[in-house]
Amino acid sequence: MGDQNSILSPAEARHLLRRTGFGAAQRDIERITDGEETRGEAADRLLGFTPTTFRPRNNDMEIAHNKWIKYMVRTPLQLQEKAVLFWHDHFATSNDVVGDPHQMAAQNLTLRQHCKSDFRAMMHAINRDPAMMDFLDTVRNRKENPNENYGREVLELFCLGVYDLDGQPNYSQDDIVQIARAFTGWRVDQRDEAYFDVGRHDRGTGNPGDPYPERGPKVIFKDNPAFGPAGYDYGAAAGTNYELEIDEVMNAIFAHQDSAGRNTVAHWVAYRLITFYADPNPSVAYVEAMVAASGFDTSFAVADLLRAIFVSDEFYAPVTDPTKRSVKWPVDFVVSTLRLAEMKLRSRYQYINGGSYDTIFDELSNMGQTLFEPPSVFGWDWESSWVNSSTLLARFGFARDVSAARGRGKTTLRVEKLFDFAISSNVDPDVVIDDVTKLFGVDDAFQPGSNNHDALVDYLTDGGGGLLDFSDYETRDKKLRGVVALVLQSPAYMVH
Amino acid sequence: MALTRRQFLRRGGIATAGGIFAPSLFGSPFLQRAMAQTIGDRYFISLYLNGGNDGLNTVVPYDNGAGSLRTHYEAARNSGAGGLFLDNGPGSGNTQGLDQALPATPFLDPNTGAQLSFHPGLQAFRDLYDAGHLAVIQGCGYPDPNLSHEVATSIWETGDPLGALATSKGWVGRHLEAEYAPTDIPAVSIANLIAGQLQQTGTSVLAIQRLQRFGFPLDEEWDDDYAAKMAAFEAMYGDAANTGVGTEQFIGNSGLATSQATENYPQLHGDYVSERAVFNAMYDNVALGTQTSTARDLREVAKIIYGVAKGEPGISARFFHVANGGYDTHSDQGGGQIDGRHYALHREVASAIKVFFDDLTDMAQGQSDGRQNLPEKVCVMVWSEFSRRIIQNDNGTDHGTQAPMFLIGHGVNGGVIGNHPNIAPLVIEDHDGNTPYSQAPADPFRSTDLRDVYGTILKHWLNVPVPTVNAILPVDAIVDPTNYWNVANFDLPLF
Repeated sequence: MGDQNSILSPAEARHLLRRTGFGAAQRDIERITDGEETRGEAADRLLGFTPTTFRPRNNDMEIAHNKWIKYMVRTPLQLQEKAVLFWHDHFATSNDVVGDPHQMAAQNLTLRQHCKSDFRAMMHAINRDPAMMDFLDTVRNRKENPNENYGREVLELFCLGVYDLDGQPNYSQDDIVQIARAFTGWRVDQRDEAYFDVGRHDRGTGNPGDPYPERGPKVIFKDNPAFGPAGYDYGAAAGTNYELEIDEVMNAIFAHQDSAGRNTVAHWVAYRLITFYADPNPSVAYVEAMVAASGFDTSFAVADLLRAIFVSDEFYAPVTDPTKRSVKWPVDFVVSTLRLAEMKLRSRYQYINGGSYDTIFDELSNMGQTLFEPPSVFGWDWESSWVNSSTLLARFGFARDVSAARGRGKTTLRVEKLFDFAISSNVDPDVVIDDVTKLFGVDDAFQPGSNNHDALVDYLTDGGGGLLDFSDYETRDKKLRGVVALVLQSPAYMVH
Repeated sequence: MALTRRQFLRRGGIATAGGIFAPSLFGSPFLQRAMAQTIGDRYFISLYLNGGNDGLNTVVPYDNGAGSLRTHYEAARNSGAGGLFLDNGPGSGNTQGLDQALPATPFLDPNTGAQLSFHPGLQAFRDLYDAGHLAVIQGCGYPDPNLSHEVATSIWETGDPLGALATSKGWVGRHLEAEYAPTDIPAVSIANLIAGQLQQTGTSVLAIQRLQRFGFPLDEEWDDDYAAKMAAFEAMYGDAANTGVGTEQFIGNSGLATSQATENYPQLHGDYVSERAVFNAMYDNVALGTQTSTARDLREVAKIIYGVAKGEPGISARFFHVANGGYDTHSDQGGGQIDGRHYALHREVASAIKVFFDDLTDMAQGQSDGRQNLPEKVCVMVWSEFSRRIIQNDNGTDHGTQAPMFLIGHGVNGGVIGNHPNIAPLVIEDHDGNTPYSQAPADPFRSTDLRDVYGTILKHWLNVPVPTVNAILPVDAIVDPTNYWNVANFDLPLF
């Protein structure tokens, strides 16, 4: 058991870095351990940044995609990009529908600016985000036929969840219908800015003489503990300032209480962040504890919630408990490998300089994750859903490509320089295995005496044992690149 | 943690959500158990229309018969700027009418006697129907329908609307794990993911996007190193499968099944392309100009079935899953416009299935091995997580409830089963704009429970004994017995 004052071990430091960023380089681990940082100190340092203004702009979505990958590889603000990746899943928006790379890039910047901000401010921005407004039909939501698409997902995915922690429904179909009315009339102008077109807005309030009397008053969340049987009349609250109706809806959502009187938004968002960073199957008590420890149900400060998670015991459980480990996302698998291998991709199409010469976009697509094209509004399916014969082959192929990147310069895998051991005619295979597995952070799974270790010794020596003649180009190129491929293909490297 | 089952699956994954493989039998990775499963020499393909297909603009009332379906249809779909209304007649200009896909054989709603028609994009379905190879099952759904994609999809995938099993395993998956050993590979998902219906933990389901690219990637610079590398690979994955825990064990088993399958599956592509060049090109013709890939996905199924039927070693898959996306037509749905979204989706799916059965028919010509009578041995089930709102919004439709399902195959009894849902204005107004779900035996608009369809497939197509069907699709104890879902005892006249 530990707390924010617990000093991080090297294994814990590595875990913190690779869960909050993409892979843990030895120098970054040492920065924590040399400074004897505590959980709290390290979390504060990692969280203590001002968001950057990077946005992956290009007319071609694939090139923009590659720009983001490249930024993930090179930015020192690893926590920021990991968080943006999470929010891209949470507010999953696909360019397949939007068809506007500039709007997608603008949303990406919005997610970056708000990646650890007040969640209320984030929702305020998302409600007015042009890509989202197009993706979930806000721009097509008119008074004649209110469109429920966005209203449903605000409740189901972004803010509340279908059910609360006790399995009780959080809202009704009628709530969705009424919320859809609030968003009628919101449009995007030619400069890609949201504006309110009152002429397309449903100005009904249920009062006599108002339009659409059959739709009734704009009341939501009847019988919710926060509002009592009457619910919350957002139309009355906004009055004739119709453009404020969506903000009144948000006020109601952020005040919403679940069946046990907990703040629903706080616990839903905490649950989502916990499943991403800490534990895919958290207990109710853990979710409640993180909200309570961070005050997220009053502040809605994402940074505070993340800090609470990053100092909790549950966050560090996978260090010692392999059953708690999480399958790396494809983007994580790719970006962390490139970072640890200190390898760059070639050209704006960002292909690997070896093997299949596939672009990183295609490699990721085959692994099941192309940025800006989540499969649906639900984002990607995580954990073991990442693992199947098709996606595994794509990961194996990427590993092969990295290992086969030959030639000169930073777009190749520089096997002669990457490792600590000296290239000679009598290299100990144990040393090679130790160096390679340490670099990629899986040395725990390849300790001498383990089956994995034996498998690599057999591979390196073609079953004969003994020392390796790495002064011979063929042996060195074949076996050193081969062992890198195998380590990157190993079951241990798929999880963290 | 109280989440929807699908959320549980999506965030936690099947390995942690539903347990993991039994101790691995992958010690002999190339071991193939003799198959004597209930499916016999048949095949089953599930084709999922992802996003909620608008059922009302799929099987469309053409006249009123003894009821008012056409009148109600016109009222619901003849409004707004976009207009999703499908006119009777040949259509004009860019727009096709229902006459383009009106079957020549009787195609009547059993309840009202109304003449039905297919959406004009579904002309190939009309042909399959007229040939007696296509069954429409109207009004399919389940009690207390859910309008969330996520929840509804999980219900259709698990076949467990009320959560009686509390499982994230698919209904086909539960059948597979009861029938097949861990070393078997009975099913393939044509995607880079394993479809929810096929999710389970007892046997190996492959995900293959394209057979041509299903080889194991090795460094071609040193081909004399392949064997050593594969030995090390299988040692690592065998270790994870045998001694690993949790997700690592799942990864171990998956990796072994993958390397095993890469030995046999990729050659199916070359065999098919060289031996079936004419049909190979026909799928491309269907796919021309589409943004979706059902035709090419079904071609991958055809390649595998061709291999299985010919008795290629190491190939034994008989269950397949294909998905087509783009049905979430809140906007820009299009009615009968040939450049509209719904038209394009309908056209590709129907034409692809037609080519697929033409391909199977041709494969069977003059053969006495497993290819004999092939089109009679293949059943395609087409489904979606829900239909859409009866009243259109602008040029689109919001989420709805019941939709028609399709069963297609030369072994299927063609015809119309089940009644068209009640779309009378006053009735749908009482149900938030959707069709009311009813299984009361006295209701002339009685709905068909999806489990009746699944159960009929299990019992009559897959020859699963009734007690086992009951275990796969358990009775919901809390359903009102007068609304008891199992009204047809898994005996819908589909086969």
